[in-house]
Amino acid sequence: MRNEKKKPTLRRILHLVGAYRFHILCSLLLAALAVAATLYIPILAGRAIDTVIGAGHVEFARLLPLLYRIAIIAAVNGLSQWFMQLLNNRVSFRVVRDLRNQAMAHIERLPLSYLDAHATGDTVSRIISDADQFADGLLMGFSQLFTGVLTILGTLVLMFAINYKIALTVMLLTPLSLFVARFIARRTFAMFQKQSETRGRLTGYIEEIIGSKRVVNAFAREDAAKEDFDEINGDYAHFSLRAIFFSSLTNPTTRFVNALVYAAVALVGALAVVGGSLTVGILTCFLSYANQYTKPFNEISGVIAELQNALACAERIFSLIDAPEEPPDAEQAETLQHAEGRVDLEGVCFSYDRARPLIENLNLHVTPGSRIAIVGPTGCGKTTLVNLLMRFYEIQSGSISVDGRSVDQITKESLRANFGMVLQDTWLKAATVRENIALGKPSATEEEIISAAKAAHADGFIRSLPQGYDTPLTDDASVLSVGQKQLLCIARVMLSLPPMLILDEATSSIDTRTEQQIQQAFSRMMRGRTVFIVAHRLTTIKDADLILVMQDGKVVEQGNHAQLMASGGFYAELYQSRTAQV
Amino acid sequence: MRLFKLFAPYLRGSRTQCVLAPLFKMSEAVLELLTPLVVARMIDQGIAAGDRNYIIKMVGLLALFAAVGLAFSLTAQYFAAHASVSFVQRLKSALFDRAVRLTDAQTDAVGVPTLIARMTGDMDTVQNGVNLSLRLLLRSPFVVAGAMIMAFTVDARAAVTFAVVIPLLSLIVFGILYATIPLYDRIRAALDGVLSTAREGLIGVRVLRAFRVEHRQTEEFKEKNERLTRLQIATGRISALLNPLTVILIDLAVAVLIYVGAVRVDRGLLTQGAVVALYNYMAQILIELIKFANLVITITKSVACARRIGGVLDLPVEKQTGGVTTGAGEEAIRFDHVTFTYENAGEATLRDVSFTARRGETVGVIGATGAGKSTLIDLIPGFYKTERGDVFVLGANVKDWDPQALRSRIAIVPQKSRLVKGTVRSNLLWGDPDASEDTLIEALKVAKAYDFVMEKGGLDAPVGQAGSGFSGGQRQRLCIARALVRHAEILILDDSFSALDYVTEAAVRRGIARSCKDTTVVIVSQRTSSILHADRILLMEEGACTVGTHASLLQMSDVYREIHRTQFEEEAAAHA
Repeated sequence: MRNEKKKPTLRRILHLVGAYRFHILCSLLLAALAVAATLYIPILAGRAIDTVIGAGHVEFARLLPLLYRIAIIAAVNGLSQWFMQLLNNRVSFRVVRDLRNQAMAHIERLPLSYLDAHATGDTVSRIISDADQFADGLLMGFSQLFTGVLTILGTLVLMFAINYKIALTVMLLTPLSLFVARFIARRTFAMFQKQSETRGRLTGYIEEIIGSKRVVNAFAREDAAKEDFDEINGDYAHFSLRAIFFSSLTNPTTRFVNALVYAAVALVGALAVVGGSLTVGILTCFLSYANQYTKPFNEISGVIAELQNALACAERIFSLIDAPEEPPDAEQAETLQHAEGRVDLEGVCFSYDRARPLIENLNLHVTPGSRIAIVGPTGCGKTTLVNLLMRFYEIQSGSISVDGRSVDQITKESLRANFGMVLQDTWLKAATVRENIALGKPSATEEEIISAAKAAHADGFIRSLPQGYDTPLTDDASVLSVGQKQLLCIARVMLSLPPMLILDEATSSIDTRTEQQIQQAFSRMMRGRTVFIVAHRLTTIKDADLILVMQDGKVVEQGNHAQLMASGGFYAELYQSRTAQV
Repeated sequence: MRLFKLFAPYLRGSRTQCVLAPLFKMSEAVLELLTPLVVARMIDQGIAAGDRNYIIKMVGLLALFAAVGLAFSLTAQYFAAHASVSFVQRLKSALFDRAVRLTDAQTDAVGVPTLIARMTGDMDTVQNGVNLSLRLLLRSPFVVAGAMIMAFTVDARAAVTFAVVIPLLSLIVFGILYATIPLYDRIRAALDGVLSTAREGLIGVRVLRAFRVEHRQTEEFKEKNERLTRLQIATGRISALLNPLTVILIDLAVAVLIYVGAVRVDRGLLTQGAVVALYNYMAQILIELIKFANLVITITKSVACARRIGGVLDLPVEKQTGGVTTGAGEEAIRFDHVTFTYENAGEATLRDVSFTARRGETVGVIGATGAGKSTLIDLIPGFYKTERGDVFVLGANVKDWDPQALRSRIAIVPQKSRLVKGTVRSNLLWGDPDASEDTLIEALKVAKAYDFVMEKGGLDAPVGQAGSGFSGGQRQRLCIARALVRHAEILILDDSFSALDYVTEAAVRRGIARSCKDTTVVIVSQRTSSILHADRILLMEEGACTVGTHASLLQMSDVYREIHRTQFEEEAAAHA
């Protein structure tokens, strides 16, 4: 099962890095060269030491060429390592770049149903950190793995070639190192898991308590909170201590195994020297091999964990990239020019989740220039209608048509161009005020921008900003109040002013005066246009040509004010409770 | 140094471990330093003389060194882990305590997300820094210096190579470190840019698609991504120098060392074994220097975090003035010419506000956002201190009240419905830890929360983090119930009906009016309908306050009339 899943992932990774195969091939060759050089130097040093026998017995004639050779090999080693690293950097950073661009371009074509169903933070972390870990783990890890394996094999081959007894000793002791490393890794992993669980609990508690500090103070819960905190903090310290301690065992214990290998080589080697089958120089060479030998083993066990992680990360990115795209416009789809504004919904059915029907058989006929109010309690699904009109979501049956043409025969782009949308949660780009107003029309002239801002009652406060229209808005746009942000969003629509509008009315967090300004801006916009309003204000609702009353995602009533009041249903109840004096 | 003084109390409990960890670590290093000498002896005396027993003895010594070294090292790792974990545990506990007790002015200045970051990520970094410092800060320089000293004891002339190589190696390692640290900061900034463009595109996807500019967002992303990649490759070019340069330097040093050694051996001043020992010492240096360089990076990060933690810990503890623990009198709340300005704010948020609320009265507060409604409320439990003028609660000046005693007389329903993970019961008990089951049920009923709580499984229904599992309106009603459990003399409702529909709001308000007859209720609202029947209405306008009743304000105030008209015009029309 696991393998089946991994296979395509691996193939795709190969495909992804395939563009850099020449780079990778060169990098591998250089790695092999570097390993060979690294292994050759102790041999040269050993031979050099062998020329240094004793007082008056130093063979300088043999020594000097050996030393020159060390210098040359060192240079070769250094250069090949350098080029290898440059190549690796280039490949891994570019693969990440390609992957990110691909993911982002794909997101552009993903249906909103996907984006709504996946937390933004999760998708962002796939594009950002998963991509990073994938590249780090896979490419760097692969290069380390390759070097490591090559070093181990090279060392073994050389040792066997020179002295099989010592080589056998080393080989027999090797599993010990692997065993110890695995033992520790397993323990550590369990502890790290517990640690991160507890960390989650601790962070959650901190966020909760510090986030509602005011309430903690108001109810004088400081001491109780500290007690609870200390308990979780104590648990965290408990697991943290073990996790840290276990993970810090790896180095000393492998160093210990290493030292044992070293001692064994020294023993077998020294006895062989006494027996005459080995020179002191070659013994030195063996000792330095023994020193280096277990290092790649440690690295490899680390690298394997990293590779697994990298594969998991790759799977997460690929699952994003593989998510099915929004179907393209129908081939014969036409461009909708400036629409008249007639909208008809005929037997529309839609639900986010097939098991829970939402909108069923909705019929709605909107004549050009009329005003439709959508009312209902919070969370009743008013936005669903917006989603369908804008074709953010596709209806499951029935039809929606604009000016008598079914929307699936119209390009999405031109359909959306005929709608102006102002939503309740104001979204602004991290860009200047000017760029935000001109979002839908980058070619707009200065005059157009300013007159749109004036029409939205936004010109005044924009001019009072530190840099006027050039004021940069940050992520949270804290320089602006909620109302001001909304006015900017209105200005944005004012600039192009399409024939049909979708508006979400002012929220409760906006004060009365700003609300009035927004209302003025809204009514200026609505003149002569087909408007769908998610309505909160009674005036808007009463004056609407058609009121859709929604509850639990369904349109429960529709008609104008008089009709609905007469029918005495949910709308009448809502209306009365709102105006009733208590 | 100041930082150390600030943190010393939390280190105190781990004093022994803090000394023992490096001590054991260095003992292990001594053994490592002795190893090459043992090998040299083995060569010069064992091998040269063909003395097998001597060789075995020396190898036994090596194995002993390894075993003792392991024991030392494990002990050191344990002490280091213990010291760093306990230190951070104490520090975290102290910081949490400090954070919960910060005044609101201080919290505003620091910011809640910052406080949370100090207690989580920053703490982990500090813990790691302390742990590694205890293990390596002394060991690595000790081994490097030790290797050089040992080399000098072997042969001073040959050891000169060390004196040249070590500074050169340090120069390379730390030079590259120094050159790349600022570049890594730039990379992080560039990565943040890429991240926020992606996030922005996802959050704003509806607007981007509505304006058909989703492609521009992708282009912007690609541009930033390209800039990041170029920066990464450029930085990589510098850090890629580290390995090759150090390796070349060490190998050349080995060649020089052997040559110098050879000359000395030829003159009979040195043995072959000694040359091998020198060669081995050279190998030890590089590993330790690179470890040390990494340690420097970790420590730099940790110190930065520690400094930030210190900044919070060091905030002055506001004098918890006043010993008044009981209050009485007919006046529940009195504001006497109160003026208040937030720190760093240009203008006063409250200007010369005066009013009196008697016991059992209901006071409504209405006005535009930013008019000072919440600020006015915050002065009653003493969350902020007045700049001028005084606030009296239950007959005593807030400045003279013991804050905890004062707050025990007040119940607040905050604007943002904050609940904590646990059960409905555990949340309600915040109001009064000794409340009976009946009290809890009664409070739920008054707050119109009884039905949905029962649906979810009653008082022991789980409440998720920050109240997840309950809708906004339900959370708001639970917060009201929590306040009601308190049976306080003053009940403050800060825009607490915003998520309720009109029917529910009216029912809750009626319930509160009925069950809190002797309670002074302060209701902040945007809607006139919520406060219409209050005994007193405070109309806030840019920090100034007009006191009246619904009828008198309708007559006196254009603003109040306007607010009321926009909300009630239909009703007026219906009656006409």
